[in-house]
Amino acid sequence: MSIRKIIDWAIQDQKSEMKGNIASPFYQYQDYAGSWVWACDVDLGGGEDNVLRSVPVAANNREVIYAEQGKGVSLSRMGSGKWAITGLSKTLNSTVHMIFVSFVDDVFQISGRRLAGNIIRPLSYGEMGELIPPFGYGVLPYGLQGKFDAQGNFMEIVEWH
Amino acid sequence: MRYISAAFQGVLDNRRRRPAYKIYAWDPSGTTISQVAAAPGNLHAGLPTPLDITPYASEIAWSDKQLSFTMVDPKNFFHPDTGAYRNYLGDGAILRLVEGDEVLSETDWVTSFTGQIHGQVGWKKARHSGSVTAKVSVFGRAETQAFKRRKITTREYSVGTDLGIALYDICETFMGLTRAEVRIPFTLGRQFKHKVNQLAQVSPWEAITSLLEVVCYQPYFDGEGKLTYVNKSFQRPPAKVLADYVRCVELEVPENSQDGINKVKVVFLDAQLERVDGPYQKLGEAQVTTGFFSMHENLPCWWSEDHKQRADGTSMKVIKSVNSGLLPVGNESYEQKDDFHGEIEVEILVWVPILATVMALEYVAAALIPDETTSTSKGFTLPTVLSAPGAVALVAPPTGGPVTGVITMAPIQVVAEEVPGTGFTIPWGRVLQAQAMLGIMLIQMSIGSAQYEVWGTPYDYAYLEKMSIAMEDGLDYWLENEKEIKNDFVGSHDQADTIAVTELIWEKSLTRPRRVVIEDDPSLEVGDIIVIPDGRKILITGLSKKIKRGEVASLVIDGCKVMTP
Repeated sequence: MSIRKIIDWAIQDQKSEMKGNIASPFYQYQDYAGSWVWACDVDLGGGEDNVLRSVPVAANNREVIYAEQGKGVSLSRMGSGKWAITGLSKTLNSTVHMIFVSFVDDVFQISGRRLAGNIIRPLSYGEMGELIPPFGYGVLPYGLQGKFDAQGNFMEIVEWH
Repeated sequence: MRYISAAFQGVLDNRRRRPAYKIYAWDPSGTTISQVAAAPGNLHAGLPTPLDITPYASEIAWSDKQLSFTMVDPKNFFHPDTGAYRNYLGDGAILRLVEGDEVLSETDWVTSFTGQIHGQVGWKKARHSGSVTAKVSVFGRAETQAFKRRKITTREYSVGTDLGIALYDICETFMGLTRAEVRIPFTLGRQFKHKVNQLAQVSPWEAITSLLEVVCYQPYFDGEGKLTYVNKSFQRPPAKVLADYVRCVELEVPENSQDGINKVKVVFLDAQLERVDGPYQKLGEAQVTTGFFSMHENLPCWWSEDHKQRADGTSMKVIKSVNSGLLPVGNESYEQKDDFHGEIEVEILVWVPILATVMALEYVAAALIPDETTSTSKGFTLPTVLSAPGAVALVAPPTGGPVTGVITMAPIQVVAEEVPGTGFTIPWGRVLQAQAMLGIMLIQMSIGSAQYEVWGTPYDYAYLEKMSIAMEDGLDYWLENEKEIKNDFVGSHDQADTIAVTELIWEKSLTRPRRVVIEDDPSLEVGDIIVIPDGRKILITGLSKKIKRGEVASLVIDGCKVMTP
């Protein structure tokens, strides 16, 4: 590992801003000190399966909570290492092309391609009735969040708060 | 691969070599490195005559990045304080190494190094031995710190401009290079995709690196001090094929104890702005007081106070209508005018003002209708003459005067129940006024304040941050060693895919270092691919050698295995 690389990584690790997409409606969240704050889940993109949960909205940014699910937000790192939503972002995480390359000795081969990038959004009435047997509409609450892949295929129900 | 004249190539091929070299130095006070690099020859008329310091140089070590040697200077020509030629080894002095063969004229030789002295050379005089030596290190142009540390902001480039134009601009404006010093194609075949493009607060070297990254090139200063590139793609023919091991001195597989990059992420902003919808919501509201006095009302309704919010699919919700009275008096309609606002139109029906006017006129007119009276009253009898005919004797005096006589009259008879001024009466005018008043009140009751809301879907445009990831197949999450490339000059996923795959293969190759020592071959350059006799390909990442008089140097080639599809 060259010193230069290690320094580059260290600089990158110290980055204090991130972009993400709102992956849930805003909700009130009680922090460890017992205070209620507005928060939401944030999808950081990049083909990651997990979303950042319960990201609080920074002070004086209350208008952010009116943003719709799916909109881009910018996150800032707080002193403790936790992230907070500090505003809306002009960029939006989008699709990811994944290309898998296999290496055998001196030979490489592209062994597969995949389109990644999940979308988390509320399920519609129709989807609740059709996508998730045997429950369906009437059993599942309206507003339930579902995760869809980049092609729009339903993947799973996202845990609701 | 460096250009070699046919004569020099012939000498290299027949292996009957009498290697020769020269080191030229220019005084930086009268010459710039740009002049030297751009000149067609070292002894060109347009260039100040260099000082040949070859006789003073020994223990010459050359690499593609640095030239170092020891000066033997018994007469103190290069003493940093007092030497007559001290400027030729002073800070910023320009030096060149030219290599060839004694059997060839110097015009057939190749310039294998061009660089500058940074700072001050070391100089030492030892009393016990009487020797005077100076250690000289000359650095290639890529080591110029100003290229890598100064932050620049370029002018803007419009969409469709080739990246090469921006690259040449940066080279000329911020690096002081002339076109003759740049060997990169003027057009790179990739265009700016965004409407306005600028490079801001990056060093010139970072700027040209970013631009070349789009075509998988890497900037590099060659031996002549000209800016060129290393192609990271291995899909190209080799520069040299070693048919046998005759020229090979050593083959080495050096130890590599680093974790290699096995995942490359290319992040770029899509040139097309993507529409991002907000939730369906109330965008604006309007209210108006209207009625018969107003035929037409236009109410502009903006989606935001600053008139900047865009919205789509808008519609009007009537909270309180102009028709909420007893009678429908008007039509309310809504039309979206543009992305930023719509207009509510309230149109009062034409009969309303007409009726109002007619009723008012009628009311006034009815006030003028008098109550009806007659000359005969029921229940009354007129006085009657009761005198019998002839009983009346009216005598008029002959001289005039009052007529005298007697007339008997029956008295007026009045019926008690038919006395005038008692009972009920309804004047016709009042009835008509009341009717007109009702009409006016009806119209007035039908007007008032109307209230509307406009609902719709607000939206804005955002850049989509797209990504291409090339990674080793079957890699577990905890084994990923990632390299991220952020480059907004990448215009499409296809381009990003190519960069990601090329970079991953490049990084994988770098984890397989190889070292080959061969007879010196001045035609080889960094970035060339050579094929060793067993068929393996090696990409040259570094070159070095020690040069001695009258001896064919051993060229140390540091490289890595080339991965092929």
